[in-house]
Amino acid sequence: MVTKSQKKVCIVIPAYNESAVIGSVVSEIIKALSTTPYLWSVLVVNDKSKDNTAQIAQKNGAIVVNHILNSGAGGATATGLSYADQNGFDVAATMDADGQHDSDDVVKGIGELIKSQSDLMIGSRLIDSKGMSRVKVLGNKGLSFVTLVLFGIRSTDSQSGLRIFSRKALNQLTWKSSGYEFASEMLWRARQKKLIIDEFPIKAIYTDYSKSKGQSNWNAINIIKSLLKQRLVEMFE
Amino acid sequence: MRYLTLVLLNLPVIILALANIVTQYKMNKITKHRFGYQILVWIIILIVIVSSFPVYNYIVGEPIFDSRELSLFDVVQTTAIVYLFYIVNDLRRRIEKNEKIVRDLHQELSIKLSRGGNGKN
Repeated sequence: MVTKSQKKVCIVIPAYNESAVIGSVVSEIIKALSTTPYLWSVLVVNDKSKDNTAQIAQKNGAIVVNHILNSGAGGATATGLSYADQNGFDVAATMDADGQHDSDDVVKGIGELIKSQSDLMIGSRLIDSKGMSRVKVLGNKGLSFVTLVLFGIRSTDSQSGLRIFSRKALNQLTWKSSGYEFASEMLWRARQKKLIIDEFPIKAIYTDYSKSKGQSNWNAINIIKSLLKQRLVEMFE
Repeated sequence: MRYLTLVLLNLPVIILALANIVTQYKMNKITKHRFGYQILVWIIILIVIVSSFPVYNYIVGEPIFDSRELSLFDVVQTTAIVYLFYIVNDLRRRIEKNEKIVRDLHQELSIKLSRGGNGKN
């Protein structure tokens, strides 16, 4: 029987060529969720990977949505959240597929969102940046500053992939970007929809693999360019 | 006469743009905020065009601007800018609308087609 306190929770993992780690990421999150009172599903959005990411994820217990076209991190995240919205989940959480996020932080974030009545909860790696390289800290702080200047949103980690969404956010949030710039745009759209944005501290696990898969600091230039273009274009919309 | 030509050439496209914005707002295709912003942009363009006569009269002979009277070339150039602004803005809106359709279609198709492959769905 589903009780009132049994929230339906969907974990969305956008993935592209992550066959090396997706199995353990899915297993870990399932293990963490098994100890909670939630009704949960783990969804992997396979963004047209060239390897067997989808098969491994499915074998480890995830539901898999296969993209027909490669759409980027923003597109895959949008598909996952749309799935959660269509299937009536109360809460959805996004996490990276490269093993950068601790499953316990995801569960903690879901609890924080339910407790705080926020609509969008961002897992910030920079509240306590221990373990992060100085270059990464600098790059992420820079992008958070750009997000503040362009959109007026104060966030310590505007690029974090660990985000928790309320039912209201699932229903109302949409964005246009398909690349990594969607992370900042999402915050902007959330503010436009008057959603409550909050943060909670998380730790980032940097392995050789996640370092090799993560965004290069040079990509920050592309992100800034796209955000600036979007901000200017929408002045005339 | 040139000022009148400038106003007459540009007025139709400005009125068309304003009419488009009001229609979109009335049909709930844009938010109140966007409506206000677009109206403001086109009203500014209208004011600049209509006030070109006194503005040119003022700046002729002023050392900082060092301008001559409005030439026929100025009329053509200004009109071209206003027309291009209108066209580019309209095209961008259409492209974004189409992009959204393609994005939504891809999302829906991906979810629907994957449904069969997952035992849990």
